[in-house]
Amino acid sequence: MINYIYNIPLAIGSNVINLFAHIGKISIFFYEIIFCTFTLPLYFKTFFNQVIKIGYNSLPVIGLTAFFTGSVLALQIYVGSSRFNAESIVASIVALGITRELGPVIAGLMLAGRVSASISAEIATMKVTEQLDALTTLSTNPIRYLVVPRVLAALLTLPILVLIADIIGIMGGFVVGTQSLGFIEQSYIKNTFDIIQLNDVISGLIKAAVFGFIVAFMGCYHGYNSTGGAQGVGRSTTKAVVSASILILASNYILTSLVFNS
Amino acid sequence: MTDLILKIEKLHKSFGEKVILNDFNINITRNTSQVIIGGSGTGKSVLLKCILGLIEPEQGIISYNNTPLNRDTRKEINFYDEIGMLFQGAALFDSLTVWENITFAIKSKRKSDLREIALDKIHKVGLDSTVLDLYPSELSGGMQKRVALARAIAKDPQLLFFDEPTTGLDPIMADVINNLINEIIDQVGATAITITHDMESAKKIADKISMLYKGSIIWSGDPGEIECSNNPYVDQFINGRSEGPIKINIKD
Repeated sequence: MINYIYNIPLAIGSNVINLFAHIGKISIFFYEIIFCTFTLPLYFKTFFNQVIKIGYNSLPVIGLTAFFTGSVLALQIYVGSSRFNAESIVASIVALGITRELGPVIAGLMLAGRVSASISAEIATMKVTEQLDALTTLSTNPIRYLVVPRVLAALLTLPILVLIADIIGIMGGFVVGTQSLGFIEQSYIKNTFDIIQLNDVISGLIKAAVFGFIVAFMGCYHGYNSTGGAQGVGRSTTKAVVSASILILASNYILTSLVFNS
Repeated sequence: MTDLILKIEKLHKSFGEKVILNDFNINITRNTSQVIIGGSGTGKSVLLKCILGLIEPEQGIISYNNTPLNRDTRKEINFYDEIGMLFQGAALFDSLTVWENITFAIKSKRKSDLREIALDKIHKVGLDSTVLDLYPSELSGGMQKRVALARAIAKDPQLLFFDEPTTGLDPIMADVINNLINEIIDQVGATAITITHDMESAKKIADKISMLYKGSIIWSGDPGEIECSNNPYVDQFINGRSEGPIKINIKD
């Protein structure tokens, strides 16, 4: 019984210390990324390679996801709106839903699954095989060489991916709306363009940039701090995907609240 | 300039309650090949990582050419431009070709010049130009070690570090690597620090051998003296006996 009394505060204390140590590590990692981003040298070749890997290679996955999301959204909105005889709002809701919310969130989550995991596994494997140490002994800062190009590439390419996803998602809604739900093409297009404002698209792109940063940051952070051999690589990959996904959803709420308030 | 290239005084490093290096002292003379032997878990790799700045020791001073090393001074004196390191597992970059790996640390040169340098270094380690455009995954373990050796000497370093250079190699390839290390030390004119538990390798490449046990140097001498060191720890280690003063903790 006495042991339990001692163990409870001990467990709470050690968890609190771990939490603060973790926050401290993340803050230092963040600071080092910012410092290396704004100081020379920048590794442009690595950056462009990452733009291809993170951006271009993610296009098919994100395009397909966006298409089916737009299609399903059109069907669901049609079912709901027909209960109020308001079927004409399908095109508007699909356009707003995709540009403001689903485009960036779905693309962010897909990128978290695809890119965060791959970045984390790659960097963790490099750590296990002493390649990170080798970089240091070859006068190269691993954060500058490995992390900064990945973070910048994800931050800059996700907005472009989301813009494409927006277009494909709306097209998905258009295809289902006109081919399956009986909407006239011209009126569907007119309803779409009448409702969309520049702010809707821009707010989605700002979200995308934040999500891109989160995806690459979490992948790099967990990979960089991986410990324990092959098992550690697996653990860090899982942590990267889970933490990136949760942070995307949480930051989505915060960003949406800020946009509402403004 | 004194004859000492590296001086380590009262180095201490622990992980949690486990003490790895305890009051570690050593002086390394220029143009010598110093080998540090010791069993698994005695702190050999931690020592190398402390010297290279990959791990921060809690206490002690590591001086390179009379300059105490820390994060700032390593940058100021361009420490990493003056050293070369051969990692235990080669640690070649998977995404780069052999020539890109070898010339990785050389900046501000044209591609054709870099390939020339890579070709020169690859010849020094006994390979030919056919491997230059291969990726590390296309090479055997022995070839990877040679490429890593070529990368370590790419900038003609003053100080070379070898971490278990023969681990994972068959005896013939291990002997080839040992010979290469000797040739390269002579060619480059560098000081070498090797950590190993391979006694054949140690005897072959060392000018001076030191034995590390429980975080401190317990014996130092020439390779010829080690057989008659009269030190029971050294005697047990070099003869590979399980009975003796060195007790193996299964948990370690």
